[in-house]
Amino acid sequence: MSQTTDFKKAQSAASQRKSLQRLGFIGRNLALICFATFALFPIIWMITCTFKSDAEMYNTVFRFTPTLNNYKEVLVGTDYFKAFFQNLIVAGGAVLVTMIAGVPAAYGLARYNFKNKEDIAFQILSFKFAPEILVILPVFLIFQKIGLYDTYFGLIWVYQLITMPLVIWVVRGYFEDISVEIEQAAQLDGYRWYEIFLKVLLPLVKPGLVASGLLAFIYAWNSFTFPLILSGFKIQTITITSLRYIASDSVHYGQVAVAATVAIIPEIIACLFIQKHLVRGLSFGAVKG
Amino acid sequence: MKKTLVLVLTAVMLLSCLSFATAEEFNWKAYEGTTIQVAFVEHTTSNAIASKIADFTELTGINVEYSITPEANYFDKVNAALSTRTGTLDLFMSGAYQLWDYSAAGYVEDLTPWLENTIPDYDFEDLVQSAVNALKWDGVPGHAVGTGAQLGLPLCFELYSLAYNKRAFEENGLEVPTTYEELLEVCDALKEWNGPGSYALAIRGARDWGTIHPGYMSTFTNFGAKDFEIVDNKLVSRLDSEEAIAMTEFWVEVIKRGGAPSWSKYTWYEAGADLGAGKAAMLFDADNNGITQNWIKDGVPASAEAGNIAWAVMPVAAEGDTPYSNYWTWSMAMNANSDAKEAAWLFLQYFTSKDFASYASITEYNMDPIRTSVWEDPAFLAKMEQHEGYIDTFNATIGSTSILFTPQPEFFVTTTEWAATLQDIVMGQYDSVEEAMKTLAAKVNEAVEYIDLSDYE
Repeated sequence: MSQTTDFKKAQSAASQRKSLQRLGFIGRNLALICFATFALFPIIWMITCTFKSDAEMYNTVFRFTPTLNNYKEVLVGTDYFKAFFQNLIVAGGAVLVTMIAGVPAAYGLARYNFKNKEDIAFQILSFKFAPEILVILPVFLIFQKIGLYDTYFGLIWVYQLITMPLVIWVVRGYFEDISVEIEQAAQLDGYRWYEIFLKVLLPLVKPGLVASGLLAFIYAWNSFTFPLILSGFKIQTITITSLRYIASDSVHYGQVAVAATVAIIPEIIACLFIQKHLVRGLSFGAVKG
Repeated sequence: MKKTLVLVLTAVMLLSCLSFATAEEFNWKAYEGTTIQVAFVEHTTSNAIASKIADFTELTGINVEYSITPEANYFDKVNAALSTRTGTLDLFMSGAYQLWDYSAAGYVEDLTPWLENTIPDYDFEDLVQSAVNALKWDGVPGHAVGTGAQLGLPLCFELYSLAYNKRAFEENGLEVPTTYEELLEVCDALKEWNGPGSYALAIRGARDWGTIHPGYMSTFTNFGAKDFEIVDNKLVSRLDSEEAIAMTEFWVEVIKRGGAPSWSKYTWYEAGADLGAGKAAMLFDADNNGITQNWIKDGVPASAEAGNIAWAVMPVAAEGDTPYSNYWTWSMAMNANSDAKEAAWLFLQYFTSKDFASYASITEYNMDPIRTSVWEDPAFLAKMEQHEGYIDTFNATIGSTSILFTPQPEFFVTTTEWAATLQDIVMGQYDSVEEAMKTLAAKVNEAVEYIDLSDYE
């Protein structure tokens, strides 16, 4: 009898535990859903707006007659995609140049001791301090004189003010985290200097490269002031084009939402692709301290 | 008799041939191969021009590179391009107020001599002359517009009137206000006329010059107030005059009794959008602001209240008083440092010509048209029939429409300060309107103190 009672008690306890576990599971997921809804709400709102007509934009929330007119207005027969690809060239080009020049620079600043090293590093960082609008006029004048105004090369060059300091300072920290013994061990294994850099160090700083590269791309992609002043006739970036729907006749919020929704696609794709590389700590434990 | 007839007919034929020869002789291809750069603000006019640039290039052989920039950032771009004095930007859109600044800095070409040599059938006199005159200024602070250098040619313009929702007035059995007193009464009667959040009158309130220049400045003048007077070769602010104080008291009352709850952040588009969305029952702003909310194009309404909006002349002190309206013109000006002025001049004439004005306003949606012939065109009148009262209001106001501000180089500084003071008064940061306006006048005087008109003699 007592055995049966114990068994029943155990059963009831197990079932209670299961219920609690299930409740915990539901609670956790509910909390996550709430958080995800909160975090994604601006995007959900933006996407909802893309399907609303101007007439229903202000006086409805989620009850409206969906329309694809905004997509048609923005994407069909306009130069939106031209701006999209021009932005891709400029932002992608800027990040590429930054990676090629910035990563060795970051390595140099992390590994070598030379005169005024910290001053140089700070100088690079200080490029980020000045508001773009403050430096734009002299840059504009120089670009006009040397023929870089309204060119891809000019924009990619000036974007280095945005992307280079970020990449150098982030990646420098990663290089500093890697023990010099790893390089020495690779040297002993017969690696040349560039092989050490490419085959040993770069894989170790990959999370930093990926994170800073992505951030640099986002900053370059979203840059507004530089392309506003330094281009516009032959090259127009997506940030400028997207605002075109804030027109003089009316603010076409639906069209602005379409332009913005399409504009964030490359950033989302880039994030999804490199998500798996965003893992910190590959170099931890490589060498015993 | 027969002989006379033959002679007359011969003369007519010869004259026709002569005029035909003149038109024929005009060489549209004189600047073929030239490239010009044009800066446009995002606007219905710009869209109409952009759609015809290929035709212009085909006719003239002139290549046109252009940029279209949203208004919020447009002038940053133009300022940068002009201030380098490199002349790569040949033509740019501008308002009259900005041209006062630009011309003072020597960036703007005086078009007066260019107007002596126009394309065939240009018919300068057909341009709405008040819009043309609004873009003339002799460069002397304190001197009114209308004389001096022609700083640009108009592309479109706006005057200020009362747009209202017919439904709101009909449902509440109200008459459209014609006087200040009636306006205040209607403001009370239309509180929450369309449910919670709805209100009577949409007007601008943001902390910038745009708040002052539409309804406020028009009413300010209708109260008999002035912004400046010239005293001993100095500009002296009259914002502390009795009329200015009385007008501002009235305006604050209007805002408090009928304005939007978040009036202080309202620019033209929030104000216009509220009328279209059925939140505001009236809009005291640019006549074409309400138009954009009222179109029904191919059966698609531009806003929730499209079709319900109508126009009336702005309220005045007493029925029958002249409604003085301020003026805004989007114009096209030529960079004084342009390297391709002749080609730019051709462009400017082509896109202010009768044919283009007709296309821009009848086929496209450029409001208000700059050509008298378009205003009289039955096709245009038919198109505007859906906007009840618009044409009548225009006709009743255009004669008393001009730039009501005193031109001076600190325009943006002083009007922004003015808007800030208006906000502060509404928010109760002053004990009285009089105190606020006296403080404002002192600040404005300080801003223009350095201007000595004897320097311009």
